[in-house]
Amino acid sequence: MSPADTNRELVEIFTAKATAVNSVVQEVPSLEAALQYVVDVCESKLPAEILADEPDAEQGPPGPNNMPTRVKRIVAAPDLPENEFSSLAQLCAAKGFACVRDGLRKHLAGIDVGVSCADFAVAASGTCSVNTDCEQTRLAGMISEVSVIFLHKSKIYPDLPSIAQLLRQRMGESPATFTTFISGPSRTADIERVAAVGVHGPLEQHIILLED
Amino acid sequence: MHEAPNTLSDYRKQINEALQDDFLRKTLDTFAVAYRANRETIFKEVDEQGLIKQIADARDAACKRLEELYTQFKAEAEKRGVIVHRAATAEDANNIIARIARDNNVKRVVKSKSMTAEETHLNDRLFADNLIVDETDLGEWIIQLRHEGPSHMVMPAIHLSRYQVADDFTKATGVKQDSDIQRLVKVARVQLRRKFIAADMGISGCNFAIAENGTITTVTNEGNARMVTTLPRVHVALVGLDKLTPTVDEALTALLVLPRNATAQRLTTYVSWMCGAGECSINKDNKKILHVVFLDNGRTEIAKDPLFSQIFRCVRCGACSNVCPVYRLVGGHKMGYIYIGAIGLILTYFYHGKDRARVLCQNCVGCEACKNVCAGGIDLPRLIREIRSRVNDEQGGETVPALLGAVMSNRKLFHTLLKFAKYAQKPFTGRDVQFQRHLPAIFLGKHDFKALPAIAAKSFRDRWPEIAPQVSSPKFRVALFSGCAQDFIYPEQLEACVKLLGSKNVAVDFPMTQSCCGLPLDMMGQRKAGIDVAKQNVQAFSNGKYDAIITLCASCASFLKHSYPHLLEKESSLQYAVKDFSEKITDFSSFVHDKLNVTADDFNNNGEKVTYHAACHICRGLGVKEAPRELVASAATYVPCEEEETCCGFGGTYSAKFPEISAQLLENKLANINATGAARVVVDCPGCIMQIRGGAEKRKLPFKVTHIAELLAENLKR
Repeated sequence: MSPADTNRELVEIFTAKATAVNSVVQEVPSLEAALQYVVDVCESKLPAEILADEPDAEQGPPGPNNMPTRVKRIVAAPDLPENEFSSLAQLCAAKGFACVRDGLRKHLAGIDVGVSCADFAVAASGTCSVNTDCEQTRLAGMISEVSVIFLHKSKIYPDLPSIAQLLRQRMGESPATFTTFISGPSRTADIERVAAVGVHGPLEQHIILLED
Repeated sequence: MHEAPNTLSDYRKQINEALQDDFLRKTLDTFAVAYRANRETIFKEVDEQGLIKQIADARDAACKRLEELYTQFKAEAEKRGVIVHRAATAEDANNIIARIARDNNVKRVVKSKSMTAEETHLNDRLFADNLIVDETDLGEWIIQLRHEGPSHMVMPAIHLSRYQVADDFTKATGVKQDSDIQRLVKVARVQLRRKFIAADMGISGCNFAIAENGTITTVTNEGNARMVTTLPRVHVALVGLDKLTPTVDEALTALLVLPRNATAQRLTTYVSWMCGAGECSINKDNKKILHVVFLDNGRTEIAKDPLFSQIFRCVRCGACSNVCPVYRLVGGHKMGYIYIGAIGLILTYFYHGKDRARVLCQNCVGCEACKNVCAGGIDLPRLIREIRSRVNDEQGGETVPALLGAVMSNRKLFHTLLKFAKYAQKPFTGRDVQFQRHLPAIFLGKHDFKALPAIAAKSFRDRWPEIAPQVSSPKFRVALFSGCAQDFIYPEQLEACVKLLGSKNVAVDFPMTQSCCGLPLDMMGQRKAGIDVAKQNVQAFSNGKYDAIITLCASCASFLKHSYPHLLEKESSLQYAVKDFSEKITDFSSFVHDKLNVTADDFNNNGEKVTYHAACHICRGLGVKEAPRELVASAATYVPCEEEETCCGFGGTYSAKFPEISAQLLENKLANINATGAARVVVDCPGCIMQIRGGAEKRKLPFKVTHIAELLAENLKR
């Protein structure tokens, strides 16, 4: 099998397994399309609920959990390269969304969309590995109602054993401290074994597959 | 928090209460059936046995290098700004954590799920210092609100209904909460988010402590461990020394099995790999204050134990509960102390002391379902029997098992008593079978949920001289190991076997000095008597040059084959004989199917509808699955039964010790058999026959219960 075919197959498996654990997987032709996807997701979702006190936040009508909602939506993208972040910030500004890359501890009550980038991924379980050394990146993936991960198709590997060396290298980078595997949105089955998503972290997990 | 039972009668009372809990029963029934199917599906994608072997080998190797791994972990973690502690006892660990809280001026603590913190009763210690401590795993938070302990290692609140949770959340929030599960989950989202934000310190457990780079790992679905380890300024991980592993490779291998075994998932939603104190913007130096507290609490001693060191292979997946027929009936609060299920019975002994384990460790039916699915291939039933033996040795056991042990190690006395019992019993006649008390539990308590069989008028050993087949130039030479039940209660089953073997030109021998296999003794922790009878049996068969030693009792077969080599490992003069003996042990169905190669042509199949009950020790103990089913299909019309491989509840002396559980397991088994509409159920084990036939008789159910040998002998072409 040619490398292209192999990768095609891995993309298919990854997509199937990620979808099976409630991730939304979307292939896009360009980075611009990926950034546009983030803005579209933010625009189409219900505004984020403010789950705890946040004195400076302007409050809109109550959301599904009877918590007040954000009037100004927030997109966080701490680990996007400078130029990509600027493009995203422009798109957000046009829609009236805040686009931030730090200061997320001010918004622990919840934000709308958190963007992060996967180092590599595992097809067999639909898993993304994200470098979360940066506290802001970690928070973006935890406190957002919708988490969006950018993943380059060429970074998909077959299974857990095949990423052992990558993981070891990743954790060997100085000063690596925190690596996170993510397979779908936050979930629980602790009440009567009934599946429910969004118990602590994101209500939705989106994965954008980028060409190289 | 529940307490471990002190006496068997207290324990039985508690068990009875659990058996009356309809919600629990229904939940665990549904779970058991769904889990079995889901697990099977999710394991198709990987090499299950290969991975289990890999995990077992890696854990065994790590166990031998525990000190080296600890030193390496400590050095690597300290390089990365982590403060590493080692606590000899649970109390030490709690004190260390309380001190860290004090030194850092901590007021509020959030915790992600940690069985190790449950083991040390950490919360009680922190409450004593007036700290506010909140569990953040949804299930753990629910049971914390109720002041209960977990009832499952992975699903701590599986015993509760949505209505109970709604009531608890109503109390916790002061607002009336709907019982809709999706809504309840969101109530927790809101409430717990505030607790994460307000907390000064987070306490997590750890699934793998990786020595090569000082990494601690948490595995969760909810993502609460990410919050606990990220939001507060201080993070403490409490880690059992058994979690140390050399490299990321073993952790990745274990991750292929742990989620599959726990909840039939390919991987949990989150796996966090933390190697060092990371960014934390609310601390002055922008660094997390990260402490790792290793807990010993007996672990270094366990690591040195040649037999029990295998418990370090446990990855805390909870699968041993998921498949346990007893857990399914009584739930985790009655099937462990802190740690639950088969592994819980063992860990209670080591981590919480023999007093708490003494009664609990009796509650294993010995069906081997747990051993069959254990992620680390731990021989759980054997270890539980070993604990019973240790408990007996250490503090003297109950009188009755000791008496039984004394009697049974003297074969002649035992057999004389058995023969005498037939005069003492007052049999009443069933339809075509006599029922009365059974043996060796003749010395034990009463059961009334099933009719009990009578001692046969003439034992097999007394019939043998008349029925021994005369075979010239035999194809095989075999010996029969009869076991007590067939020798003295069901000799007709052995006779059926002899008839079939004779017709197939097999020479059969019956060594007269054979005795009980010893499994009932081992189940009761009577180790010394068990060794005595094992020696007698090996010697009884050591002079014949047999092609096989055939037994019609799956429990005897499994015990003779797998446990004798362990039981007699110190008898140096017997080693050759033991090996030869155990290798030759063959169950009836396998011999007839695999060696005699009988087919449908050998039988007059009259179309009788026959179903099958797979005895625990045939399908799991010996791994024999196809042979008996194919034999049934060649002599009759085989109709499969729901949960064919689920225990009938006999478990030898277990049914006398825990009659209520045994009765309920039997109830389920009878219902499944009855639903097939079969005229007969066949089994490879006289214990199951005693149980199922006794239950069917009591309820006047319309099917026969016989040994598979009887079905074959009846239908044999002349």
